[in-house]
Amino acid sequence: MLIGALYWIYLDRVVTRQFEGRRWTLPAQIYAAPLELYAGLGLSQSDLEHELQRLQYRRVDRVQHSGTYREQGSRIDIALRAARFADESRPAGLLSVTTESSGIQSLRDSSGHDVPIIRLEPLLIGSIFPIHGEDRIVVTPQEVPPLLPAALIAVEDRNFEHHHGIDPMGIIRAMWVDVRAGQIEQGGSTLTQQLVKSYFLNPRQTLGRKLREAAMAISLEAHFGKADIMNAYINEIFLGQDGARAIHGFGLASEFYFGKPLSELDLSEVALLVAVVRGPSYYDPRRHPDRVRLRRDLVLKLMAERGIVRASDAQAAEKRPVGVTPRAAGAYYPAYLDFVRRTLRRDYRNEDLTEAGLRIYTSLEPRAQDQAERALEGELARLDHVRKQPAAERLQGSVVVTSPHSGDVIAIVGGRDVGYDGFNRALDARRPMGSLVKPFIYLTALESGRYNAATIIQDAPLTIRLANGQLWQPQNFTRQTNGPVPLVRALAESLNLATVGLGLDLGLPKIAQTLQRFGLPTPPAQVPAMLLGAVDVTPLEAAQMYNGLANGGFQTPLRAVRAVISEDGKAIRAFPLKVTPVATPENIYELNRMLEQVMVKGTGKSARTLLPANLVVAGKSGTSSDLRDDWFAGFSGSHLTVVWVGYDDNRSTGFTGSSGALPVWARVMAGLGTSSWSAPMPESLAETWVSYQSGAQVDASCAEDAVPIAVPVGTQLPVQPGCGNNGVDSIVKRAGEWLRDIMH
Amino acid sequence: MSASSRNRILVGVGVTATCLLAACDSLRSPPPQFPEQTGQPGSAQPVPGQSAPGQPAQTPARPARQFHLSPASTALVAQAHKAANSGDFGLAAATVERAMRIEPDNPLLWIELGGVRLTAGDFSQANSMGRKALSLATGDPRAQSSAWHLIADSLRALGRNEEAADADRRADALAPR
Repeated sequence: MLIGALYWIYLDRVVTRQFEGRRWTLPAQIYAAPLELYAGLGLSQSDLEHELQRLQYRRVDRVQHSGTYREQGSRIDIALRAARFADESRPAGLLSVTTESSGIQSLRDSSGHDVPIIRLEPLLIGSIFPIHGEDRIVVTPQEVPPLLPAALIAVEDRNFEHHHGIDPMGIIRAMWVDVRAGQIEQGGSTLTQQLVKSYFLNPRQTLGRKLREAAMAISLEAHFGKADIMNAYINEIFLGQDGARAIHGFGLASEFYFGKPLSELDLSEVALLVAVVRGPSYYDPRRHPDRVRLRRDLVLKLMAERGIVRASDAQAAEKRPVGVTPRAAGAYYPAYLDFVRRTLRRDYRNEDLTEAGLRIYTSLEPRAQDQAERALEGELARLDHVRKQPAAERLQGSVVVTSPHSGDVIAIVGGRDVGYDGFNRALDARRPMGSLVKPFIYLTALESGRYNAATIIQDAPLTIRLANGQLWQPQNFTRQTNGPVPLVRALAESLNLATVGLGLDLGLPKIAQTLQRFGLPTPPAQVPAMLLGAVDVTPLEAAQMYNGLANGGFQTPLRAVRAVISEDGKAIRAFPLKVTPVATPENIYELNRMLEQVMVKGTGKSARTLLPANLVVAGKSGTSSDLRDDWFAGFSGSHLTVVWVGYDDNRSTGFTGSSGALPVWARVMAGLGTSSWSAPMPESLAETWVSYQSGAQVDASCAEDAVPIAVPVGTQLPVQPGCGNNGVDSIVKRAGEWLRDIMH
Repeated sequence: MSASSRNRILVGVGVTATCLLAACDSLRSPPPQFPEQTGQPGSAQPVPGQSAPGQPAQTPARPARQFHLSPASTALVAQAHKAANSGDFGLAAATVERAMRIEPDNPLLWIELGGVRLTAGDFSQANSMGRKALSLATGDPRAQSSAWHLIADSLRALGRNEEAADADRRADALAPR
């Protein structure tokens, strides 16, 4: 008796202490970049609607509740949800967006005032949950639709408002119902007991545990009010499993199954979640929609019987489909989240990330991410088909997209199976960069002051004695040589022999230094093969290096995380934009104009057909030896994209960066709505036209192979004879060419 | 804080304020219409000002241009100033960064962000932002001058006084005070 009493006191202590100081471990929530809306943004009405639907806004006829919108001709009225951003909170409110053919024309608030700029709330893209897997979003009683507690009481614990923790009548009633139905339809546990079971106890089913559960439930009821217990239940209870992640609480369940906040659920959706309580696996709405639907309808019937809703409303709700989103709410971007986690693990203890309720704001742009995923999968499937690959030998690839000026990483694709949290090629596949190395050699040449884009170098056979005494004889991809060629052509056509000759003239240490200046993390082995890209990088590292080119010679650390905000809204860590000049704007401009020619006359020109007409881009293909790795890295004015294509086992792909990675790159860029590369030419440079073959200065209006280059003001170039001043000559020449074309 | 370093910070705020005024200018009156800058990459045709064959490459005669902030950027920059004035440099910088995502190659925004960094005491970043702004401001003497002033202030704060004086001279030559 005494022991029983002491045990009771002990349990009572445990319950009150733990429950009073209760704080659910709150996994860090990770958000995508919010979409900024402003007049002039090139976003069509259907694009805007798509973005609203991504955030699970519902289209309605009358906009009343937040999370809804309606269309009125060229205007969309949106009842914006309250939102928390990294830097501020915004209350819910009405926004009217008028669009025209070129994009957003105007934004107005509910009182008709112009709004210069406003953000949609950021998409929740994941959370960092602890090893035991409990993930949850805690809701306050104000965020809970009143139907939910009413439904829980009706279905799970009719006598909740009156019992003292356990309900003997409930047990008898449940047994009676179950016997009559021949199956378990009602359980005998009160909501309080269910809470105790989930919160305090391990799941072993023993008689002793049952008794302890009952004792603790009574103790809980003795110390805490019904409202407190109900709120704890709503936040605690297990409602689903997503791989290693356990979905706890109705707040997260609402996001997980419906992709929207709990407060926005309608009757049929509330009833569905209440149905799931009884068996989140058995009644998994995604795997067993028919099963859960029957139970949902039973919940609706009970709600009507108990007078919580009108019978007609319940019947209408029964007609609704199950209505869950196809896969775990919103989106799943494992490769990007992987990068976010790695960034954070440098600064945070694991417990901070899994328990402290941090909010992590990232640079992910869901539109760009979707585009990159689609482009990679589409092109690789096509390439597999062309090569008639057996299903087991599938090509792999990865894509990294950045905004070069800010260093924001806006999309990462780690492989073809985008929903699979596996090998992240963008971060972990370290492969020879092949000809992606060449722009850094040509930049070193420009920096030496001894070369410009028109300088002639020799594309001729080379034999190099290596340190180990062996002879190295590099080859051009075509196995042919081209003799004297200007730099601009050697780079555009990625001529190996010309480049090796140039690199040896400049010296390997200088080039190694350039590579490191642009972000190559470790010093490369200074061997001649370095000049042809025997330098291993991951796609993300390649993106870091090319970002410096796209950003006009300024190095900006690539970042996925913009800010980390504590549970109470304080910024605890920001990742501010940093720029460091790593090359002069002049040299970078000269180089980038050459990389532009890669896309016009060189190895990137086949992208033309896939890109919007007149879009100016600059880039470089890369192929490692034996065609094992296919790269393409290139940029517009607003985006840099790096693509790698290859096999995980390092087999030869049989195609080059121009046929493998380039089409993926072009499709990604075409879908981004990107703007032309249009850096201003520095004042100490002048644009001039030269012959692509000879490098001699020509009159652009008469020479067929004229290409524009930028050179330092005052540069004296050899002039191509027979062209330019002599009009007759050029007409004769053109006629000759025309004839030649006809003859061929 | 020494008197001289306080001075530097005030100078930094001055740079920022100048830019806001420029932004306001563009709001009050429609932006002046300047022809597109020539010598843009991707121009398929030879441009006026291009060197004729046989002549050394010459500085093309470039028409002037004047950068201004879009209404969205103007609103954000105003917010950023409010934050900076209340001492919240993190918020100020984050707000300018929002505008930069909309207009990444507008040198006025880089000058704004550089101004925030300068006021917050990150002189080396302020200097780099000034360089970045300068590289984008080609053809706009006012923006170039502001960028040089930012660079001058940053260099002075870094104790590189001779370079700072040189930067100031460049700034004044572009847009006499």
